[in-house]
Amino acid sequence: MLQNRYIIPVLFLLFFIWSIIGTGFSIKDLIAGVPNLSNFIGCMFPPAWDTFVPLISPAIETIQMAFLGTVFAVALSVPVALLAANNITPSKPVKVLARGFIAFTRTVPDIVFALIFVSAVGLGPVPGILALAIHSVGMLGKLYAEAIEEVDPGPVEAVEAVGAGKLQAVHYAVIPQVTPSFVASTLYRFDINVRSSIVLGLVGAGGIGFELIMAMRLFRYHEMLTILIIIFIVVMLSEWASNSIRAHVIGEEVLK
Amino acid sequence: MTARMNTCGESEGRLDISETGNWSYMLTVDHLRKRLPGGKLLLRDINFSVGEGEFVAILGLSGTGKTILLRCINRLTTPDGGEIVLTDNGNPLNITQSNAGEIREVRRRIGMIFQSFNLVKRRSVIENVLIGKLGRIGTVRSLMRRFADDDIEMAHRALNRVGISDLADRRAGTLSGGEQQRVAIARSIVQDPCLLLADEPVANLDPTTAEVVMEHLRSISVGNGISTLAVLHQPELARMYATRVLGVRDGVIVYDGDARLSDDDFEVIYGSNNVAE
Repeated sequence: MLQNRYIIPVLFLLFFIWSIIGTGFSIKDLIAGVPNLSNFIGCMFPPAWDTFVPLISPAIETIQMAFLGTVFAVALSVPVALLAANNITPSKPVKVLARGFIAFTRTVPDIVFALIFVSAVGLGPVPGILALAIHSVGMLGKLYAEAIEEVDPGPVEAVEAVGAGKLQAVHYAVIPQVTPSFVASTLYRFDINVRSSIVLGLVGAGGIGFELIMAMRLFRYHEMLTILIIIFIVVMLSEWASNSIRAHVIGEEVLK
Repeated sequence: MTARMNTCGESEGRLDISETGNWSYMLTVDHLRKRLPGGKLLLRDINFSVGEGEFVAILGLSGTGKTILLRCINRLTTPDGGEIVLTDNGNPLNITQSNAGEIREVRRRIGMIFQSFNLVKRRSVIENVLIGKLGRIGTVRSLMRRFADDDIEMAHRALNRVGISDLADRRAGTLSGGEQQRVAIARSIVQDPCLLLADEPVANLDPTTAEVVMEHLRSISVGNGISTLAVLHQPELARMYATRVLGVRDGVIVYDGDARLSDDDFEVIYGSNNVAE
């Protein structure tokens, strides 16, 4: 009989082999594809620098989409998370409903939301913002609710003991305790949304992603490379910005 | 009715039945019963009254329900039977029969000091003190986190009273335990209660700091005529600060009297095994 400690590695190996067979993954095909790949990449060089400046404006639109999508997601997630948190929810049915909503928004991919909203409000950044806002609730609502459930109940009780209402207790005793964790989750989600908003552009939801799919369809490979460079810069910038804010907030925590 | 300089707010226009009611008592607890969620009957039949300006210490072994008893009084816990009546300025308020809205009304008049201070650590000291005012401020206005100048001045005076006015702008979490408990006392002063509940207020503090905190509690009890009900772990502290002791054992009050306990009184409250200590 197998010893306990071998069970997991053996299962892992079996699953790995099973998946390779199932998907038809082969190193041979990969090696055979290398010339095509290098040919494709070769076509992209050099980048079309003349398109760089005109592409800055859709790149900014992408950041704006991600920002607004995140802001709306926060506005939606905070109340939903309060309703979903065990220690704050007004009743069990409300909690189940709120959790159901959060799980639903997480299950449906943002690109599906984007397709739905594109067909509803037409092409452009607005459906992208809506898609990001709704889908982000799936992650933010869950993380916020978990943070709320971990607060020290003492201060909440102290505020309620002076005769304050539930809303006041949340505002004065819960929110201050969860702020650092809310900020960290939100910034993390913003980073994800910057990358997601590029993908959403591919289905017509505006921004630099839309330019990327257009360039691909029109076989403008040089322009594509320029766009990839811009995307790289955008992602680096947004991560740098959220890291700075995070460091600022956490630094404040350490200093108290 | 005893004249008090500092009465609880919002009593104007209420029916004054001091002529007919049991006005001499601030708090009356009658046949109080409380069962634990597990089914154990923790408080079987608790009866006592607290007069105006009294400083009553509640003593008893761990797990006898002293804290639960306090929490029944401001309805942080709902009792299973019996009656608790708070008489504020001649107006009796039935705590056990209050609905959600009336409970808030009752809680405004009852301050509470916790063993673990329960300050909002990431907020400033002065904001923590102002929390004492929340029961009297409309929800919408309080959500703006803005307080009236009078309230802010009152909060500063309360901090001054407990000797930490220089800490007003510090984050509450950066203060020492003794300082945090003094902020909590200032929070109760600002609340302007007629009854103060203190749940092991000095259990987390070193002996010297504990005496400072107990001294402040006694000072606001005497100075503001606030009746105080304090759960204490050390009979020594009760002897030094309380005007009266209630001993809780097996779900009933087994001792109600002088704060200087004799060996016999001690045995009644704590049992014979502990006398040797």
